[in-house]
Amino acid sequence: MATSRGGAIGPAIVLHLAVLAIVLVSEYIGLIRVPIGIAAVILLPILYAFALGIIFNPNVLKVTGKVLNHKATKLAGTMITIAIMPFIARFGTTVGPQIKEIIAAGPALILQEIGNLGTIVVAFPVAVFLLRMGREAVGASYSIDREPNLALIADKYGLNSPEGAGAMGVYATGTLIGTFIFAIMPPLIHGLGIFDVRALAMSCGVGSGSMLAACTGGLAAVVPDQKDLILALAAASNILTYATGLYAGLFVALPLTEWLYRTFAPADRASTLQH
Amino acid sequence: MNNEISITEAPAEGRAIDLASHAVLLVVVCAIALVGNWVATKVTPLDALPGMACLYVMTMVGLVIAKYMPFYLPSVAWISLVAIIATIPGVPGAAFVSEAVSKINFLVMATPALAYAGLALTQQEFTIARKSGWKIVVVAICVMFGTYIGSVVIADLTLRITG
Repeated sequence: MATSRGGAIGPAIVLHLAVLAIVLVSEYIGLIRVPIGIAAVILLPILYAFALGIIFNPNVLKVTGKVLNHKATKLAGTMITIAIMPFIARFGTTVGPQIKEIIAAGPALILQEIGNLGTIVVAFPVAVFLLRMGREAVGASYSIDREPNLALIADKYGLNSPEGAGAMGVYATGTLIGTFIFAIMPPLIHGLGIFDVRALAMSCGVGSGSMLAACTGGLAAVVPDQKDLILALAAASNILTYATGLYAGLFVALPLTEWLYRTFAPADRASTLQH
Repeated sequence: MNNEISITEAPAEGRAIDLASHAVLLVVVCAIALVGNWVATKVTPLDALPGMACLYVMTMVGLVIAKYMPFYLPSVAWISLVAIIATIPGVPGAAFVSEAVSKINFLVMATPALAYAGLALTQQEFTIARKSGWKIVVVAICVMFGTYIGSVVIADLTLRITG
């Protein structure tokens, strides 16, 4: 457990001040709406904050390494999980006042959790048939590969296996572009005019705090009069995903993906990502 | 280190949660968020302070529950439950909590986390992303799209049936 004690006070203060500066700039720029036909691309402060964080990351910009040392970036890793907690609390407070609407939407909320298996429907065929990937496809496509899903893959195959490489690749990609994808995708799908905004909102809970924030932020920007309901439904579904995600992966998604691979992938296909 | 791929440092869960260190670091996060909220919504830190204090207390209560519960659920699940119960109309203090937190923009609360996330990315994560190549990026986008649209379709159909 990282603490700010033990000679790490200096780096810790630098880190928090850097984050404060990034937050100030990001919130000052504020939300930007880029209209595209009938839909819109929504740019959110969380996107600028992440981008600025990457720009000043000592692994990217060598100069900042002088003030943001190894101890500071290690603490930053711990801080992500801690910083997301009050956000999750703020999110939870949107549910209580809307509890009647949430209960009314109960069946849809519970059933849409099954919809998270949609990744297998979309990503597995692309990985195996289109991109001709090997067993990486199993780890890559069985789930959205956030921390609990990654832990499951690590436990079953080890992270150095082909399955682990696939899961790690999707994890790293999701970490880098997931916030962006989840900020622009829901408003564009809403622009199609096919789906109930409540359905779009309750699908935001995919088990990642930043994807949840981006998804609801984008939707609330295009349907501001439904903001409270959007937040409450998204929060409720995210809690369901937290509670069920690991078990759904263990008992349904991973066995299903394994079976699909054994049944449909050519037996002699070698690992594709190792070299 | 040669064989172990270590992802971004995750704090301990369950019994191993260090409540004292969380209590301190949460104060830092809440202070940064108060300033962010000021810039984003023009609500002064003083006016937003009661709401932020509520979020702080709910988070700590959630962490205490996560530490001492005999079965495992992620801390964030407990924190959510505490926040939901604290705002259900009729629960003592619910009206105060709802009113207080309404002074804090929900997205502002996520901005510090994303700033830390950008700064925390390790060389290893950049390397994995680069080594995995374009195929993994395509699959990852399909994974995110599929996870989302699968839920949207089922939720939409269910809402059409149940109203």
